Formats: sequence, C-alpha cells, structure tokens
Amino acid sequence: MSLEIPVRTNDTISIDGAVKIYGAGAGQHVALNGVDVTIERGQFVSIIGPSGCGKSTLLRLIAGLEEADAGEVSVFGVTPERACAAKMIGLVPQTPALLPWLDVLKNVSLPAKVNRGADRRRQKIGGHQTKTAPDMRDLLEKAGLGDAVHKLPAQLSGGMQQRTAIVRAFGVQPDVLLMDEPFSALDEFTRESIQGQLLDIWDQMNTTVVFVTHSVTEAVRLSDKVLVMSAGPGRVTASVDITLERPRSEAMLKTPEFHHFEDTIRDHLQSAWRQTPSTSSTAA
Amino acid sequence: MTPTDTAPRVDTAGTGSPLPQKKTPVLPARLAFVRPSYWLPVVALVVVLGFAWNFVASGNPYLLPPLSSVGEALASNPGYYLHNAWVTLSVALIGLAIGFVASYVLAILISELPIARRAIMPVAVVLNVTPLVAIAPALVVAFGFGPEPKLIVTALICFFPILINVSTGLRSVPQSVVQVFSTLHASRLEMLWRVRMPSALPFLFTSLRIVFPLSIIGAVVAELAAPGAAEGLGTVISIASSNNRLPVVYAAIFCLAILGSVLLAIITAIERRALHWHESMIGAKS
Repeated sequence: MSLEIPVRTNDTISIDGAVKIYGAGAGQHVALNGVDVTIERGQFVSIIGPSGCGKSTLLRLIAGLEEADAGEVSVFGVTPERACAAKMIGLVPQTPALLPWLDVLKNVSLPAKVNRGADRRRQKIGGHQTKTAPDMRDLLEKAGLGDAVHKLPAQLSGGMQQRTAIVRAFGVQPDVLLMDEPFSALDEFTRESIQGQLLDIWDQMNTTVVFVTHSVTEAVRLSDKVLVMSAGPGRVTASVDITLERPRSEAMLKTPEFHHFEDTIRDHLQSAWRQTPSTSSTAA
Repeated sequence: MTPTDTAPRVDTAGTGSPLPQKKTPVLPARLAFVRPSYWLPVVALVVVLGFAWNFVASGNPYLLPPLSSVGEALASNPGYYLHNAWVTLSVALIGLAIGFVASYVLAILISELPIARRAIMPVAVVLNVTPLVAIAPALVVAFGFGPEPKLIVTALICFFPILINVSTGLRSVPQSVVQVFSTLHASRLEMLWRVRMPSALPFLFTSLRIVFPLSIIGAVVAELAAPGAAEGLGTVISIASSNNRLPVVYAAIFCLAILGSVLLAIITAIERRALHWHESMIGAKS
C-alpha cells in the first residue's frame, strides 16, 4: 500500500493491549488488563476461564457493544462499529433472545430486513468475499429445525430455541460469529448433539467463530485454539492449539488424545487460579 | 463379576405395545361454559342480589325502585336508551381514540428521549392526580355544551394509563435482544418498529383493558357536568333524577354497566387474538 497507514491485516481479528475498567475510584473493577489476542479468519477460537475473568467483556469489545478504555480492537481491518454497520458480526447471546411473536422462520429472517445498507458498506471493506444469501429454510433444515419452521419460540425446547438463535446469527453470513456461553443452560445430551450441529453448519459456512464457554470439554471439541483466561484482573494466560482432526464426532470425546487436551487446559486453568490474588477471587 | 452382571439393562419392549391414549373430554374446552359448574355460581349470586334488591326496594320505594319497574322503564322505550347509549358510546370511543394517539406518541418520545421523559412525566403525573370530576365543569365553561369538553375529559382519563404502560413496555426489551440487534446495526426506527413496539403490545393491552371502561366513565362525568347537554346516558340520569324518576335513572345505570362490560369483553377478545404468542395466553389455553 502506498499510504502511510499502519497496515492492519484484513484477515485477523486483533486485540492489542485492551483494558476495560468498570466503575471508578475505590469501587473500580479492572475487568481486562492488557489483553492481546489474534484470531485468524476461519478459525474456531474458544475463550475459557472462571466466572468474572472478563471473557464476556472481551466478546462485547469485539461486538462493539462496549469500548475499551485503552488498547485497540480491529475486526478484519476495521473498527467493531464499522464491522457492525457492515453486518460482519453475528451474536449468539447466553439466552436465545428470540422475538416471541415471530415464528422460527420469521425470527431467523429478521436480521436480513434490518440495516439494509450493510451489503454496500461491506463491499467497501477489503478482504471480504461476497457470498450469496443462504436459504433460511435450508439452514433451519440442517439445524434440525425443519419441522419447527412455523412454530413460536414458546413452543420450542431450550435446545431448539438456541439452535434457532444460531441459525439467525449464521443467516447474515457474518465474517465472525460471537457466541457467549450459548449452551450453558442446556442439559448435557442436548449440548453434545447441538455442538455437533454447530460444527456441521460452521464447516459449511466457513465463518470465524469466537466462542466463550466455561466447559473444558466443549472448548476442546469445538475449537482450533483455546484461550485460557484468569481473573483479577482479566488476562489471557495461555493459548492452546487443538490439533485434533475434524470432523469431530461425539465418539472422539472418549479418545485419549481428547483427554490429553482437556488435561492440558485444566492444568492451565488451575495454575491461573492459584496465581490469582486471593482478594479478587471473592470479587469474581 | 461376569460381564453379564454389569451390562446395562436395556428395555427393548415397549416400542411394539400401543401407546396409552388420553381420554377425550365430552365437551371441547371452548364449550366449557355450558356446564352448570361454570355458570351456576354467578347466576346464583345474581339471583340472591336481585332478591336482596327487591327486599330493600319494597321497604323504601322512594330510594330504590323495584327491579320490575326498572325493567318496565327499559321495555317501554328501548329506542330511547339505545340512542342515548350510542351517544355516550361514541363520545367515549372518539375520546379514547384521541387519548390513545396522543399518549402513544408521547410514550414513544418518552422512551426514546430522556430529555422528553424529564419534561413530560411530571406534568403527566400532576394531570393524573388532579380529579377529572373537578376539571370537567371548567372545561364545559371553556368549550360550551358541544362535544369538545366531553371528548377532552374522556381523552384525559384514558391518557395516563396508556402513557405509563406503553412507555414501560417499549423499554421492556431484554438486554440480550438489544445486543443482538445492535451488533446488526439496526436503526432506532427499525428497533422501534420491529422490536420495541411488538414488545410493548402486552403492556398496551393491559392499559386498554383499563381505559375502555374508563372511557365510559369519562363520557358520563362530562355529560353530568354539562347540564345543558341534550343527549347521552349521563344526561338521562341527571334529568331523570331531578324529576325523581328513579326507574329511568337505574335503567340508564344498567345500560352503562352493560356498555362497559361489552367493551371489556371486546378488548379481551382482541387481546386474546393479538397476543396468542404471549406467555399469559399460552398459559390460559392449557
């Protein structure tokens, strides 16, 4: 490039020295202290850590829902705000957050109806490949919601509601999907099968995913890379590459390789926990 | 232990046997009201109240007319009551419509702009605590005996419940939903139209169930405050009571009670349709 602009690469989500402080004075709480993270396009990255370690805060920084008090956040070369304006970000919150008066199909189709100028803005941002809009019925079918297309959210089980929320987020073909403990309210059976479905859709849609969780098994099964965070103040203490081959079926959960990665991450979590100052463990 | 001891027991039967069936009730749920257990309690109470009424009336005919004479008053000139009921009803509904539009627009303003909230809410609260019965005569003096003061009183009485409920409802959207749509960069207008206004519907219907009967009260209060007015059930009551025609007074009151009940029934039916997705309605069905 001829311009003297620091070249932020279009192919990573990068967080440099992010600091986030809630409150002020004596009551202030440092949620994040100098967090550096780089996530490559197409990767499935999980962030794991105890409650209060700032993993959701980190996700909200990427989503542009909060601003860092210091440091830089770049989503494929642009600010989170520009990324949102171009509909490059899909969010799956902890609760399904469906609109109860719309049936499943209308719920997942709604994002296409808001912010219609996004596609134009998106084309101006480099590095983005234009994809054709997915057929939402087709996507629902793949998520196992084919029979529920015209049902209301209140008529669905918790797992089905969360799958609907995932399809809704995938539906805008986001460059990155941000998921904030989406399966934490589900029972174990549902969770394991929904993980498989998520991986299937992710495989087809070829999207970057940042997945916040507090389940080690979930993190290992889903991710290419697991970032371990610790609290007081929140920081990334380890980054573990999960080299298990894909596709990862439920059967893989029983293999020794899988357990090896689980143990590695548990070790990191425990050592981070021991280093945490005792004062903050109560605050967390 | 042999492996057979620890092997989990699997029930392979059960798939072939027929599934148990729930007995279908003789009457479908929507016809449940034909059962005596459904309607008998209220009918019994009404009959008891009717006897009590006639017992009191027989001792004090100048304070309370017997039900039979109220019935005669109604039957002798049903067109008269229908016409006056229609006059009162149209005032009530037009006033309600005016109050609805004004309060809904202000509710949107209040929920979107904190500065509007700080300006409008104190005034609205003071207006709400001021007794309308006291305002009505002043409005009649200011606007004369035409429809204007009646419409204003009715609109005012409907204004506050809608304002409070709708402005609360517009802000009742869960934080997670707001976050999903703000990452999509939905505009404020899109957010309002597609998310906030539907979210506020249950609150709107709660307020409508309050203000539909209230609108009748507003219209009657205005009619009573404007003694020169020619028509309306309120006028019928004030003229008949000054002429000591008690059966007519109670006939008009009876009409007002019917009017209010019918309005309430209509709004409840509409609510049931419009909010079929809402938890309160889903609970009511089962």
